Amino acid sequence: MESYATKILKMAKELSKVVKLQVRGGAANPSPPVGPALGAAGVNIMEFCKQFNARTQDKPGKVLPVVISVFKDKSFDFVIKTPPAAVQLLEAAKVKKGSGEPNRKKVAKVTWDQIKAIAEDKMQDLNAFTSEKAMDMVAGTARSMGISVTGKKPN
Amino acid sequence: MSNTVYIGYQFKVAPLQPGTEILIAELGYAGFESFVETEEGVTAYIQKDEWNAAILEDIQILDSDEFEISFTFEDIEQTNWNEEWEKNFNPIIVDDVCSVRAPFHEKPDTKYDIIIEPKMSFGTGHHETTHMMIQHILKNDFEGKSVLDMGSGTGVLAILAEMKGAKPIDAIDYDNWCYVNSLENVERNSCEHITVLEGDASLLIDQKYDIIIANINRNILLNDLGVYVKCMNPNGSMFLSGFYVEDIPAIEEECNKHGLTFVERLEKNKWVALKFVN
Repeated sequence: MESYATKILKMAKELSKVVKLQVRGGAANPSPPVGPALGAAGVNIMEFCKQFNARTQDKPGKVLPVVISVFKDKSFDFVIKTPPAAVQLLEAAKVKKGSGEPNRKKVAKVTWDQIKAIAEDKMQDLNAFTSEKAMDMVAGTARSMGISVTGKKPN
Repeated sequence: MSNTVYIGYQFKVAPLQPGTEILIAELGYAGFESFVETEEGVTAYIQKDEWNAAILEDIQILDSDEFEISFTFEDIEQTNWNEEWEKNFNPIIVDDVCSVRAPFHEKPDTKYDIIIEPKMSFGTGHHETTHMMIQHILKNDFEGKSVLDMGSGTGVLAILAEMKGAKPIDAIDYDNWCYVNSLENVERNSCEHITVLEGDASLLIDQKYDIIIANINRNILLNDLGVYVKCMNPNGSMFLSGFYVEDIPAIEEECNKHGLTFVERLEKNKWVALKFVN
């Protein structure tokens, strides 16, 4: 039989919910969505904001995905991911928006090398097993945004 | 900032990916501040000040044939989202002499007993940085010293400074909730020498202080340090926190640039609180 202490330890780390947010680096504050998403779970929001902001000082203003695990004992843990492929594509293409008619109207170009760099950066988050699959996914996102991919697909 | 009313848009997106991702990227450039990914799409938030009726007009993906996107939106009033945690947090005791607790906690037997109702402001003693700043204040002589507390949050550090004999004290925070909360806590602890101001380093013009306390973050400290230093009396001290061990070189370099000398470092779970003198 497991000891009382082990039971408590297990309970302490029992997952209560997972919250997926995207917040600007260095700029988390207790407003929505951080406030309502974490506050209702009994998490000390101020603690989250202080940690998130300190850890993202090098990416001020950048929209960063953050996955927060909230545990039953109201403690939390979080992982900050690199910016989403779509954000990186807009940056690489130096445009602020995609196309409303992605098939007919292209608004920008990126090279396959740029696609490869983004794919490698996002590989873990994309659930892609190979870098080729990851590149295809990022290139697909680019096409859906009306960004054409130029050059030769790298190996 | 956090007093602002927000507008929240709930988007349903099909197919979910990459539609949601593209939508978030475009909304981000249009001024939306933050996003929650949902099962059907995304909820996106924008401050009412940044909002206008045509805000979605330029979001190209809404016109795309590849995705079907619908949305509803609503105004969101700011309330105390942290209430759930605040209604039963544990009191904190630092080095056996200073307690930080809520009005509903029993009075402990400590030399300095600070009562805080945080109302979504930072500074309850639970965070490493607050804890270490309290330790710095406890260890140093504050009797009769003039003090500036930048980024006062709940006002906890300014209140402790007064309990240790400091006067006069200015406590400044740019967040309206913190400003109001500092005022409330100053009164709750019967402090008489603390002036609470709403704003940032631009409020500092020709004031002079013996001691400056700032528990904020690396970037703001790096940006405003020169202004703080100009406000220091000779033989003054500065206590800085809100950053990690790895941020020390940048902070120290900036301090040295402005003629400050490093004196002491406290460290807890990679967070640090540094003391400098001029």
